[in-house]
Amino acid sequence: MNRLMLQTIVKHEIKLLVRNKVLVYLFSIIFFMLLSALWIGSSMYKKQLSTIRQIKAYDKEITDSLRERITRIEKEDMIYPGFIWDDPTFAYNTARNEGPQFAVKQPFSLQALTVGQSDLQPFYYKVNITRKQYLTYDGEIGNSFLQFIGNFDFAFVVVYLFPLLIIVFTYNVLSSEKEQGTWVLLKTSNQSLGRLITARIAIRYLLFIMFFWMIVTPVLVLLVGVDFFFTTNWWWTVICVSLYFSFWFALSMFINSFSFSSTLNAMTLIFIWLFTGIIVPNLLQIGLNKIYPIPSRISMVTEERNALNQYFEKDGQTLTKEVFNNPRTMIRQASIVTPGMVYGYGVIVYKSQEIKDAAAAVAERKLYGQIERQQNAIQRLQLLSPALLLQEQLSAFAGTHWRQFNKFSIDVDTFRRETQRFYFPKMAEESTFRSFTLKDVDAIPRFNPKVYADYGWTDIPALVLTYIGVTVVLLLTAYKRLLAIVK
Amino acid sequence: MIGIVVKKELKEIFRTSRIAWLFAGLLVLIALSVYNGYTYYTSHSSLLKESQEVTYKQFISQGNKNPHLGAHFGFYAYKPTADLAMIDNGIEDYTGSSFYLEPHKRGIIKFREVTDATSLKSFGFLNIGYLIQFIFPLFIFLICHNIFSKEWENGTIKLLLGSKVGRRDIYMGKLLACLCVVSMLIGIILFLSSTVLIATSANLEKVMGSYLIYLSGLCLFSVILTSIAVSVSLLTRSSTLSLVILAGFWLMGVFLLPRLAGEISKHVYPAITSVKFDHVTFNEMQYGVGDEGTKDYRREKLLERTLAEYHVDSIQQLPVYFIPITIEFFEESDGKVMDRAYSAVDQNQARQNGLVRSVAMLSPFLAFRDFSMHVTATDMETHNDFSEKAEQHRRKIGVIVDEYYQKHVEATNEFWKTVPQFQYEPPGLTHRLVAAGPAMLIMLGWTLAAIALMIFSYRKMTV
Repeated sequence: MNRLMLQTIVKHEIKLLVRNKVLVYLFSIIFFMLLSALWIGSSMYKKQLSTIRQIKAYDKEITDSLRERITRIEKEDMIYPGFIWDDPTFAYNTARNEGPQFAVKQPFSLQALTVGQSDLQPFYYKVNITRKQYLTYDGEIGNSFLQFIGNFDFAFVVVYLFPLLIIVFTYNVLSSEKEQGTWVLLKTSNQSLGRLITARIAIRYLLFIMFFWMIVTPVLVLLVGVDFFFTTNWWWTVICVSLYFSFWFALSMFINSFSFSSTLNAMTLIFIWLFTGIIVPNLLQIGLNKIYPIPSRISMVTEERNALNQYFEKDGQTLTKEVFNNPRTMIRQASIVTPGMVYGYGVIVYKSQEIKDAAAAVAERKLYGQIERQQNAIQRLQLLSPALLLQEQLSAFAGTHWRQFNKFSIDVDTFRRETQRFYFPKMAEESTFRSFTLKDVDAIPRFNPKVYADYGWTDIPALVLTYIGVTVVLLLTAYKRLLAIVK
Repeated sequence: MIGIVVKKELKEIFRTSRIAWLFAGLLVLIALSVYNGYTYYTSHSSLLKESQEVTYKQFISQGNKNPHLGAHFGFYAYKPTADLAMIDNGIEDYTGSSFYLEPHKRGIIKFREVTDATSLKSFGFLNIGYLIQFIFPLFIFLICHNIFSKEWENGTIKLLLGSKVGRRDIYMGKLLACLCVVSMLIGIILFLSSTVLIATSANLEKVMGSYLIYLSGLCLFSVILTSIAVSVSLLTRSSTLSLVILAGFWLMGVFLLPRLAGEISKHVYPAITSVKFDHVTFNEMQYGVGDEGTKDYRREKLLERTLAEYHVDSIQQLPVYFIPITIEFFEESDGKVMDRAYSAVDQNQARQNGLVRSVAMLSPFLAFRDFSMHVTATDMETHNDFSEKAEQHRRKIGVIVDEYYQKHVEATNEFWKTVPQFQYEPPGLTHRLVAAGPAMLIMLGWTLAAIALMIFSYRKMTV
């Protein structure tokens, strides 16, 4: 096929596409959807940034107030005029009131493309020495109904809507020629019809891809800035999305090569879309839940409470008696809260927490172990569904994958232990009960917020090669079949 | 005459191999959905039932403790799995089912299953509800999209219209043939789901009413979709165009519109962040609302009132302990702050949900989903009802413990046993039907629209 011929086909294709009003309208609507999705994603990203700013301001306000109050108490010979449970010189009080620090997962700008798990998993925790962060802080105040409905983000538009647009774009490349009676004319041409059809599909693909990225890239830069552009996450996103589209073009050409009617082509392609995009992930879900059932967090709580009850049968009972019956604590009076009482509660709380944490650790390992196993299985089986594969990759590149949130959660847990190590010895300081000083305010452990956008667990080059392999096989098979049809 | 047309159409439909494949595929999906729904229901309901017993037993056997310390050990209120959750589990996995009953803090529902799920969850959860709301409509469209258009494409429309069969009979015959195929599928769903329901539900009599209403809704939903598909097939006179339009309608109605409406509602009615919520409620509790005064001030006033009530001069002379009195006092005043704050959150969420639900006017799929969740008691309203009842129970426990604490500094298992167990009954069928009212009205509206479309397309049945 010479250059002139190629140019003619390109011109012809563009004319054909532009003149197809239904296609133009559909294209416009879906691109409008794409722009909306980008805007929605960037708004969520910006909202998280704004929440983080609120957290910082709140944190500063609280720390300043704590510092000021302790300074005042220390200046006035340790006299605190307010309620004893609010006196910050008791380590237990500060640990409960002003002490808990925020642990923040800094959002990555590509999050504007894929919401992933970020609407379900918390991107910040208020880390408490007692309750484990996952048990108390269940993320933002979210609307369960809206979460159930799902997000309208770039990933949704690309994974679900664009394959359908591609189907509409290509389902009748060959069949329309037959149905309109131009097939016989084409057969008299001295050009290879196999090549001609392939060239037409390839031109449509290139036009599609160019148009797509020419819209997405500048809009994204406008919405979230240019930083993402220099990350490998972005370029892998471009490659994977482009390959996903190429897969659907190749599949369409493959179905076209069977020389069915336009209706049957469309039906087959829609069915494949439905099967790979919805049914296969659902079947995988059923299978994986059967093989690796994820235990409920309820069991974890039950374990904790059992351990606590066992502890209070003997050791805990002794401790409570020691603390509560001690003349210095005078807790039994139950009319005036004494310094000893505040101290006593603190001791019981941290002893109980140690017991609870140890008991929960076993159940926790089981829970996260099963989720991890499911994730590993998904990684192995994701090739069964291009939609699932792309969704997994997009969320990994955007920093919204379960593994990234899990890593954040593990870091928060480590931070919580660090916080416990800071407060527990001070809470157990019996000599004065009031062991928290101005110096300690600056020593309160703080979480170092960072971006979690590493995707090291996934072998991207291998996946990309597999994608290319599948697409090439589909194209070659379709090409061979087209040659045979012409004969 | 209609019978002849129905017979002819059914023969044609079942002669094509693609229908056989579609049927086979759908049968597998139905079986899987029933199985998945069944395992979901049995595992969840037994876990929640057992956990409710266990958590309460743990509470009443915690031994000798300071009453307030023991109250902090508390116990959980678990939302029982809805009887019809095996059909449609609605938003259950997104709301959580555990409510911690402990002093001072208004509970929030925790342990949302979806937070411990993999990304596969975002593709949905295959049960009967999901199958009917998401996949079944597309199958109806695949079966019916060419019921009329094929006559134009094959050039048989002239023959058909020129035959003895009247236009009305042709129309009704084709529609009934499509409905027969759809009914067969509904029949299979009905048979399998009823069998499982009978085998597992202890409260069959209680469930039957809701189940029958659900089935009636399903039949109406299927008739609406079938009528639309048949009309579109007649109006377009092209199988491909009809398929593209119907698939587009499905995509818009099932995925696009609800998600888009959800995002719009988040922007129109933005939610308060947890940080701000905590900050505002903390300040209101600590520094008071209006001229209430600070917590310290209110505590002093409370002491003055208590001393006056018992005609004594000092706290040591009080015949009751003062700490539980303050706990009870602040439980009430803090409770008002939290009620106000949560009520604002609930109202905002109700406004968001209302906006999304109003989109059902453009999507019968969404209307049916809404109807289904209400009837199976897996909706937001039932969840809020549970949350409210659990909070009431939490406060009830607070009062019992604090009254005891005023005179005792140690509680034994004998006392813990006097604290009642939590029991939850979801709202009755009438209440659920009222909640489903708007969805049912919209479905009726869609029925009228489908009838209008049928009349319009029928008039276009000319050569």
